[in-house]
Amino acid sequence: MNSSRKHVDLRAARLLTLDTEPYLSCAECFDRMDEYVEALLADPAYDDERMRTHLTACPACAEEAQSLMLLVAEDQSTTP
Amino acid sequence: MTLRGPDVHVRSAPAGTRWPEPADWVTALSLPGPEQEEALRSLHTLMLRASHHQVRRMRSALHDLGEDRIVELANEAADDAMMAVLAKLPTFEGRSRFTTWAYKFAIFQCATAVRQYEWQHRDVELDDAVPQVASAPSPDDLAEAGDLASAVCDAMMHVLTPHQRRVTVALLVDEVPIDVLADRLGTTRNALYKTLHDARKRLRAQLVASGHLPAVGPGRP
Ligand SMILES: [Zn+2]
Repeated sequence: MNSSRKHVDLRAARLLTLDTEPYLSCAECFDRMDEYVEALLADPAYDDERMRTHLTACPACAEEAQSLMLLVAEDQSTTP
Repeated sequence: MTLRGPDVHVRSAPAGTRWPEPADWVTALSLPGPEQEEALRSLHTLMLRASHHQVRRMRSALHDLGEDRIVELANEAADDAMMAVLAKLPTFEGRSRFTTWAYKFAIFQCATAVRQYEWQHRDVELDDAVPQVASAPSPDDLAEAGDLASAVCDAMMHVLTPHQRRVTVALLVDEVPIDVLADRLGTTRNALYKTLHDARKRLRAQLVASGHLPAVGPGRP
């Protein structure tokens, strides 16, 4: 199957060796996402290492957290 | 990617909404009666708002889908999310606003549905062959790319199991979404992320040992 061998470029090499400690599962990320997003909106300097690390390493969870953040921010900005 | 909040003015009062909503969602949704019916309608409105917000974000993945089908997909996701919220209602602990908590179910359902749609006609190759170094890295990459990429490929052959290779290549080289891969493999997003985490740990350890990576990750003591 050499003809279809996959290729690793620098970007993939960096993704493959990303430091994902401390570990957090996708399910735990989902559980904590609402609280995390509200904390970040209240204080942009807020940090939760496990959440930050997971969201850097998991594009699906990152998309969902980013989306939730924007939706909640939209609600807050339209509060009369 | 670092998640950063948009620059918005944050009020201390609960977020206002454009529809009537109960002060105590859990009670209103739990006790049969007219208030429950009203709360269910309000919850459905919330789910629709979040799922339509999500399809707008992922619109490019649905470029070949007509407007009617996009609306249908968002509505189905909202319905599924509503069921999920009601099933999980007893677990709501009030650590966030109810609306924020409920929104995440619709965003999750809708994002998953869009990714499944995007990949429904695409094959996911599951190959445990060790990948090779890209032959034509971008000019910026030239100095670093060959060395790190070949060390990574080498480590993939020596320290990963065939299953870890299949999963890491599908997720990080072919960029198959994690929920799509979980569906094809009959497993869960959690299980795949754990496989990925363990594989990354093994690769890092090998590359630290060979001097290709510093012993401590950036920003870590
Ligand atoms: Zn995740």
